[in-house]
Amino acid sequence: MSAERPLFIPVILGTPRQGRMSEHAARFVLGEVQKREGVETELIDVRDLSLTTQDEGGAIKDASFSRAVARADALVIVTPEYNHGYPGMLKHALDTNLKEYVHKAVGVCGVSAGGFGGTRVIENLLPVLRELGLVAIYWDMNFSSVGKVFDESGALLDESYVKRADKFLGELIWMAKTLRHGREQVKL
Amino acid sequence: MKCPDCGAEMNHHADKVDYNAAIDRPELIDPDFGGVVEEAHTCSACGRTEMRAARED
Repeated sequence: MSAERPLFIPVILGTPRQGRMSEHAARFVLGEVQKREGVETELIDVRDLSLTTQDEGGAIKDASFSRAVARADALVIVTPEYNHGYPGMLKHALDTNLKEYVHKAVGVCGVSAGGFGGTRVIENLLPVLRELGLVAIYWDMNFSSVGKVFDESGALLDESYVKRADKFLGELIWMAKTLRHGREQVKL
Repeated sequence: MKCPDCGAEMNHHADKVDYNAAIDRPELIDPDFGGVVEEAHTCSACGRTEMRAARED
């Protein structure tokens, strides 16, 4: 029965910063996920989550965010690199769930204005994702010099990213299918 | 464990030691791990995941 259900792979846009170029990357990846047969998706924008800063963790869940993650088979996280790290709002949001993540796949897209494509933020985020129970794939997407990858309207200027997204999503979907089978059928 | 949504049998596929839960529920601490061992169970029919303390069995 589980094989008949479409996969659900939402894309999390991890920064609320005004003027963020990561939104272009997130919308591009969202569009590539939407092209995949048997996969449903939606954009989760941390800017839109209702999360107080007066508390932390499971006590401040955003109900729609938690429902989406609970339904998800995998997550795509699109994050810029701020001072070699991840945006505080992304961590604040991720920490509100736990059981919703266990043994689900995650792929990370790093975004940077410079030439490193968010490699440092990805490396910094991986131990957090592991502790949450997520299983990281070993393909990343790196949007280096993001101002040259998209124009001001968000149109893609570098077509090589289509092929990169295909590889990234191919592995993520494989992992999502495998882990769904494991969660539902393989006993500990 | 039965799925609260559809009643199907759930699959136990992960364990996690929760050290914070030990503060609120010290009676559930597993002394070998120093925290509450939480089991993750996922429904084989609808995919819902639930967690429960192993010592609540």
